[in-house]
Amino acid sequence: MIIKEITMRNKIYAIFFGLILTSAGACKRELLNPVPETSVSDVTAFDTPDRVLSQVNGLYAQLKGGKFYGGRYVVYNDVRGEDFTNVTNNNITAADLWSFSINGSSATIMDTWARAYSTINQCNLFLEGMAETGTAVVGEAKAKNYLAEAKFIRGLSYYSLLQLFAKPYWDGNGSQPGLPLRLTGIKGPGSSDLVRSTVAEVYAQVIADLNSAETDLPLTYPTGATQAFTNTTRAHRNTAIALKTRVYLSMRKYAEVITEANKIVPATAPFKAATGIAHELQADITNVFKTPYTTSESIMSMPFTTDSRDVSGTQNQLGTYFYNNGSVGSAEFMLAVDGIITDAGWKTTDKRRSFVYTNATTSRKYLSKYTQPSPYTDYVPVIRYAEVLLNLAEAKVRTTNTVDAQAIALLNAVRGRSDATTVFTAGDFATSTALINAILKERRIELIGEGIRNLDIMRLGLNLPARPGKAETKPGESGYILPISNNELIFNTLMTDN
Amino acid sequence: MRKMLGIFLGLLLATTQLLAQNRTLSGKVTSSDGSPIPNVSVLVKGTNIGTTTTTDGSYSLSAPEGAKTLIFSSVGLIQQEISIGNKQTIDAALKTSDEALQEVVVVGYGTQRRGEFTGSVASVKGAVIAQKPVQSFEQALGGRAAGVQITVPNGVVNNPPVFRVRGTNSISLSSYPLIVIDGVPTYTGDIGGTNAPTNPLASINPNDIESIDIAKDAAATSIYGSRAANGVVFVTTKKGKAGKTKITYDGWASWSNPIRLVDVLDGAQYTAYKNQALRNSNLYNDNAADAVADMYFKQATGPNGQPVNTNWYDEVYRTGFSHNHSISVSGANESTSYYFGAGYTNQEGILKRNDFKRQNILFNVDSRLNKVLTVGGKIAFSNELNIANGPTGGLSGEGFTVAGLGRTAVVNSPNVSPYNNDGSYNIGSQYIGVQDNVGISQVGFYNPVPLLDLNRSDNENNHLQANIYVQVKPFSWLTLKSLYGVDNIYLDNESFQTPVHGDGRTAVGSATSSYTKPKTWLWTNTAQFNYDFNTVHSMSLLVGSEQQRRTSKGFGLNRQGLSDPQFDIIQAGYNLNNSSGLVFGENYMLSGFGRLNYNYDKRYYVSGNIRQDEYSGLGKKKGTFWGASLAWEVTNEKFWESTGLNNILSSLKVRGSYGKVGNIGGIGNYESYSTYTTSLYGGIPTLGLGAIGNPTLAWETSTKTDVGLSFGVLNDKITFDVAYYHNDIDNLILGVTQAPSTGLGSINSNVGRMYNKGLELVLNATPIESKDFSWTTSFNISFNKNEVTSLAPGLDELPFSTSGNELTNKTLPGYSLGQLFVVRTGGVDPATGRRIFYTKDGSPVLYQHYVAPGSGQFNWSNPDGTSHVPITQAADGIIYAPTQPKSYGGWDNTFRYKGFELNALITYQTGFYLYYGTQAGLRDQRYWNNEVGVLTAWQKPGDVSKFPKPYYNDNVSNGSTMPISENVVKGDFLKLRNLTLSYTLPAGLTKKVGMTNGRFYVSAQNLAMITNYPGSDPETSTNGGENSGQGVDRNNVANARILTVGLNVGF
Repeated sequence: MIIKEITMRNKIYAIFFGLILTSAGACKRELLNPVPETSVSDVTAFDTPDRVLSQVNGLYAQLKGGKFYGGRYVVYNDVRGEDFTNVTNNNITAADLWSFSINGSSATIMDTWARAYSTINQCNLFLEGMAETGTAVVGEAKAKNYLAEAKFIRGLSYYSLLQLFAKPYWDGNGSQPGLPLRLTGIKGPGSSDLVRSTVAEVYAQVIADLNSAETDLPLTYPTGATQAFTNTTRAHRNTAIALKTRVYLSMRKYAEVITEANKIVPATAPFKAATGIAHELQADITNVFKTPYTTSESIMSMPFTTDSRDVSGTQNQLGTYFYNNGSVGSAEFMLAVDGIITDAGWKTTDKRRSFVYTNATTSRKYLSKYTQPSPYTDYVPVIRYAEVLLNLAEAKVRTTNTVDAQAIALLNAVRGRSDATTVFTAGDFATSTALINAILKERRIELIGEGIRNLDIMRLGLNLPARPGKAETKPGESGYILPISNNELIFNTLMTDN
Repeated sequence: MRKMLGIFLGLLLATTQLLAQNRTLSGKVTSSDGSPIPNVSVLVKGTNIGTTTTTDGSYSLSAPEGAKTLIFSSVGLIQQEISIGNKQTIDAALKTSDEALQEVVVVGYGTQRRGEFTGSVASVKGAVIAQKPVQSFEQALGGRAAGVQITVPNGVVNNPPVFRVRGTNSISLSSYPLIVIDGVPTYTGDIGGTNAPTNPLASINPNDIESIDIAKDAAATSIYGSRAANGVVFVTTKKGKAGKTKITYDGWASWSNPIRLVDVLDGAQYTAYKNQALRNSNLYNDNAADAVADMYFKQATGPNGQPVNTNWYDEVYRTGFSHNHSISVSGANESTSYYFGAGYTNQEGILKRNDFKRQNILFNVDSRLNKVLTVGGKIAFSNELNIANGPTGGLSGEGFTVAGLGRTAVVNSPNVSPYNNDGSYNIGSQYIGVQDNVGISQVGFYNPVPLLDLNRSDNENNHLQANIYVQVKPFSWLTLKSLYGVDNIYLDNESFQTPVHGDGRTAVGSATSSYTKPKTWLWTNTAQFNYDFNTVHSMSLLVGSEQQRRTSKGFGLNRQGLSDPQFDIIQAGYNLNNSSGLVFGENYMLSGFGRLNYNYDKRYYVSGNIRQDEYSGLGKKKGTFWGASLAWEVTNEKFWESTGLNNILSSLKVRGSYGKVGNIGGIGNYESYSTYTTSLYGGIPTLGLGAIGNPTLAWETSTKTDVGLSFGVLNDKITFDVAYYHNDIDNLILGVTQAPSTGLGSINSNVGRMYNKGLELVLNATPIESKDFSWTTSFNISFNKNEVTSLAPGLDELPFSTSGNELTNKTLPGYSLGQLFVVRTGGVDPATGRRIFYTKDGSPVLYQHYVAPGSGQFNWSNPDGTSHVPITQAADGIIYAPTQPKSYGGWDNTFRYKGFELNALITYQTGFYLYYGTQAGLRDQRYWNNEVGVLTAWQKPGDVSKFPKPYYNDNVSNGSTMPISENVVKGDFLKLRNLTLSYTLPAGLTKKVGMTNGRFYVSAQNLAMITNYPGSDPETSTNGGENSGQGVDRNNVANARILTVGLNVGF
C-alpha cells in the first residue's frame, strides 16, 4: 500500500513538474512583439501598389482635415473679410480671429498651422518613400503622376500657410519672413529647429512644386463611373495650372497669371478649357454646390461622405459656420448687414442671391452655399473655373492698364450666367481701375464662402475691416497677419513671431 | 475521493497497529472560542498514522512508541504541532485562517507572518468596509490606512475614486495602484463607454472580501516589478472556515441626499437682479413704444396663475434609495473548504436616472486531496448595470458640457418652467425656452427634464473572475503551485440621444451602442522552499514565473437621423450608420521572480525580492526590478529583558527597505511602433502616417526608500508605527512635443523626474477594555511632499486644461504636481464696485464690463482711471496654490457596551487648495442663475461687498473668462465620514432561535464636516484621477450624505 501511494505521488509529481516545464516552454515570446493589426507599419507602407495609392489618397485626406481645407481654412479666409459678422461670440469657432484679437496660443491658430505642416510632412515622406521603394512597386508612369500629386498638395499647403501667417509678397518683394521650409520627411524627434525662409523663397518652392506637378500630372483620370469624382477630387494638369493663376496673382505677377490662364481659357467666349478636362462655367451656379458636386466647373473640391471618417468634424464644417436653418447649421457667422449683400448692383434676380438665406426666426441672413444637414457633406471648393476667369480678367486689366475687352468678356461670363440682365460694356468703366473694382466686387459676390476674400485683402494690401471696438488694421500693423503658433515658437527655437 | 482516503487511512492504521507497540492518545480540538471542531486531521509527525476528530471535536489515536509530535490540521485552520511528551491527553485550540489573517499579510504569491514581514504594508479587514453603501470596496478605504488617499470625485454612482498610495507617482501614466485579486491583477479606472462611469472593481461585493493589504514600499511591492510603483493592493476574498456550514445574510437599505447645495436665486430674485444688471449695462428696455427692441426679464406665469419659480435642484437631484442583500454559505471539513456568496444591490444615486445595479456570485473552494496535493479555485461572476441619462458633469472631460446635470441645475433660470402651460416641454430652438422673458435670447442650457425622460447612457458589465490552482507539497519544505486565472469583462454600452432636445437635436436623434471585451489570462507557477536549521536560522525562498496576456476587442455602431420620432433604440430606423467604439489591443507580459527571506533567531531579518518583466507594449521590453529590506526585532534580544527595557516598551522593531520598481499603467499597446493608419477620402480608402512610436520607450522607474519603527507600550495596549519614505521617480513618460512644423505631434519619451517623500504615523490603542465596555481607537496621519524636478527638454511647464477648455493647472519643475494657475484678484473696489485684478507684477487693475459711451472710462483701468491693457491669464496668471494635500488621514473609534457598538470614522485632509470654478458660474452675469450672495452686491460708493456691481453679460469679473484667485479656496476639511451604531443580539437569545449571530445597525456617511469650502464637498475632482489636474471643482455634481439601516444574521 505504501509503495503504491508513493507511486501515485510520483505520478502526481511527474505530472506537476511536467506542467511547470510545459509552462516554461509554453511562454509565447512572439507575443512580446505584436504586429499591429489595425494599422500598417511604417516600414511596409510602400510595399504594394494598393498601399501606395491609398497613401496618395491619404495626402488629400490630410489636406481635407477639418482644421485645414476641409473647413476652417476656408472659414478663416472668409471671416477676416467684411462680409461676415460673428454671432455666437465663441472663440472656439473663431470669434477672436474675426475680431482680430486672436493670440498664438489659440487652437484656431495652432491647429491649422499643425495640420498644414502635417500635410506637408506626409507629402515629404511620400516623396522619399517613393524614391526608396514605391516607384519600383507601382512603375515609373504611375509614380510620376503620384509624385506630381504630392508636390501639388505640398505647394497648395505652403501657399495656404503664406496667406495667413506671412506678409504679402508685395511687401518688400518677398523679403519678409516666410515659413520654415520643410522639404524632407520627418519620422522622429530631433528636427524641431528650423529658421524661417523668406516669403519669396517659399513662393519659389510653391511655383516649383506646381510647375513640376503640371508636367507630370495626368490630363484627366480614367473614364468610368468615378471619372467625374476623381477629376474633381484629385489634381490633374489643369488643377496645377489653375492654382498657379491664383499664386501668381498673390505675387502680383500678372503676366504669369495670363500665361497660365491662357493654357485653359480661350481668348474669347465661350470660355471652356481646350486641353485636359474641359472646364467651363455651369449654366446654373447652384448646380456647382449640389450633389454630386463634380461639374466641370469645380476644378478641385474636397469630397465628403456621411461616414464618420470622411467628414470634417464638429465645429469645422462650412455649413455650421455659415448656415442656420432649424437643426442645420450653428449660425456662427451671419452675412454682414453692411457687407456685399447690400450692393445695389447685385440684383435680386441674380441667381447667386439664392445663396442668401434669411432665417425666419431671427431675421438674420446666412450664406446657403452649404446646406446639407449633419454630418455636413457639402464638398468644399478649392478652386473653381469662375475664379480662374476672374483671375485672368484682373491680370489682363492690370497688365494692359486699359479697359480690356477680354476682361469685360470674362466678367460678363461670370455675371451673365447668374444674371442675364446685366451685361457690362466698356462704356461702364471710365478707367481701368473702375473695371478692376468691378472684377474685385464680382469676386466677393461669386466666391463668397469659398475662402478667397482674405487672399484678395492680402495681395491688394487692403485694410482689414473694422470690428466693434477696433478700427481698421492697416498692412504692417500688428494683427494684419496671424500670430505664429505658440507651440512653434516654444519648440522651434529658431522660429520668430509675426 | 474522501471515501478512498478514509479507507486508505484505516488500512494504514490497521497495518501500523500490528507493527509497533502503541500507546493511546486522546484529546479535544476546539476553536479559539472554545467550540469543538469536527473533522480535524490528527497525525503523528513523520508517519502516516492519524485520525480525524468526531463531531464533538474529540479524537483517540494509537501512537507508536517514539512518537514525538502530533500535527493538527484542517482546511481553513492554521496547522498546529504539539509535542507529545509524557502526556496522554493532548488538547488543541486551532485558530481559523480568519484569525490567522490578522497575523499574516498577503505579500504576493504567498503570505507571511506579520511579525516577520519587513516591508511596509497597511491592512484593512474586509469587515470594516463590508456594509458600507458604496459600489466598490476602495471607495470605503479613505482614512483607514496610513499613506492611502482616497478622493471620491462626486455623487455620481460607481465613479472610480482617486486612489493614491503615498502621493501621486506619475504624470502621464496611471497613478492607480495595481489591484491584485486572489492572485490575479485586475482592471482599474473607468472602463465604461458611456456617460455612466464603470469601475471594474465594483464587480466585487465588498461583503465577500476577507482582507485588503496595501503594499507601499519597495520591499512589499517589488515582487510585482514593472507595475509596482503606485503600490500594490492585494484583495483576498473569503474562504470557508472550519466547522459546520454557516449561512449568513447581510442586508441594508439606504437613503442618499446631495449635501451642501449652494443657495441660488429664486424666480423673483433672479428676475429683479438680472433686470438690475441689464439697467446697469444700459440694456434694459420695457418701453414698447420706442424704436429700441424691448429687453427685460419677466417671470413666466404657471398654469396655476402664479409666477414660475423653478428650483432646478429638484429637477436634477433626488433622494436616492438603495438596498443591498448578500448571502453566503460556507464551511469546511478536514479536506474541503468552500465559500459561496451571492449578492444583489440596487443603488440609486442622488442624480435622477443615475443607478447602479449588481448581481454577483462568488464560489471559492479549496480541497486537500491528500497530504501532498491540494486543488482549488474560484469563480466570481458579476452582472452590473450602470445607468445615467447622459453627461452628468461628473466625469473627467465633462466639466463644460452644457448637458451636464450638475451644471444645468445652477445655470438655468428659475423664472422659467421645465414645462409650458399646455404640459409640453419648455424647449427653445436650441436651449430651454425663454417663456415670458422679453428680448432675452437665452435663459439657460438644455432643459434637463426631457433629457432625463428621453435620453440614456447606460452600460452593462458582465465580469468573470476565475482561477484554478494545483498545489503539491511533496516535502514539508517544498510547495509547488500552479495557478491559472482569467479576468474577462464583457461590456455592453448603449446610449440614446433624443432628437427632441439637447445634444441629439442636430443629428435628429442619435443612438450609439458598442460591445467591448477586455480579457486577461494569467498563468503563474511558483516553488516555495522553507527551511529552518540549527533552530536559529530560518529561510524561505520563492521562485516563480508568470505570463499575463491581455486582449481587448470592441465594435459598435452609431446611428443618426431617426426615421420616426417614436423610435429610441438602435435597432430601429435611422438614416445614417457609422461604426463606433472600434477597439483592438493586445499585450503580453512574461515574468520571472524570486523572493528570499531569512531570519536569524527571529531577531535579524533580511528579505530580498527580484522580478524581471518583459512587456510587449514597450520599446525596451525587458526590465529588472528589486527590493531589499532589513529588520531588527529588538524585543527578541536577550538584553531586552535583562536590562528591563521591556518594562518601558513592550515591543520594538526597526526596519528599512530600498529598491527599484516600475510603472507602465495606462501605457498604449503599440507605443514603440510608428504606424500608418487608414481613413477615407470621399469614400476612397487612405493610408497615412498616424502615430510616431518611440522604439526605446521604457517603464517609469521608482526608487523607493523606506525606514520604519514599530513599538508598543503597556503590554502593547498602545502601539505606534512610524514610517519615513522617499520615492524618486525617474524616466517619467511625457509626450515630448516636436515643433508643429515638423508635422509631428508629441513623442512619448522617458524624460521627467519627480519625487514624493513623507512620513506616516499610526497609533492603535485600546484605552478601555472591560467585560462590558471597551474603547478601541486607531489614528493615522500621513504627510506627503511632492515635487517635480524636471520635465522634458523644451518643455518648461505642462499645462492642464479642465475638460480641454479652461487652463486651471500647471506642472513645472520646482513645484508640486498640478499647481493652480490663476490671475490674482483682490476683492471689489469700494469706491467703484469694480473687481480688482492684479497684473503679474502685482499692480492693481480695475475691470468694468460696461462703459457708458463718452464717459471717458475704460473696461480695464488703473486705479487713477487711466486705461490699462486687458488682463489675460497668459500674461498675468501666476502659479498660485498647490492641489496636493500636505497631510491626510483618519481617526477611527469603536465603543462597545454589551451588545452595542458605536463606530465613528473621522477623515481629514489639510494643506491643499481647490479651484472652485463652479463659483465663477454662480456669479456669472450672463443669463446664468447666481448664488444668493449676489443680492449683497456693491451698489454705491463705500459699499464693501465680495460681489462687484452687476453688469449684464459680465463674465470677466467673476472668473468665467479666466480663472481668478477669488475662486481658489483652501480645501482643508475634517469629516465625520462614517458613524455606525449597532446592536448584536446576546448569544443566548440567538441560539434559542437557531441563529449563530444577529446584528442590527444604523449608519450615516458624510454626516458632518468642518471646512471653509463653500461648495458641496472639498473632496472632489472634476478631472477624475488626472494626475496633473487635481483640485478642480468645475460644475461638478454634489456629493451625497447617506443614511443606512441594516442587519446581519448568521445560521
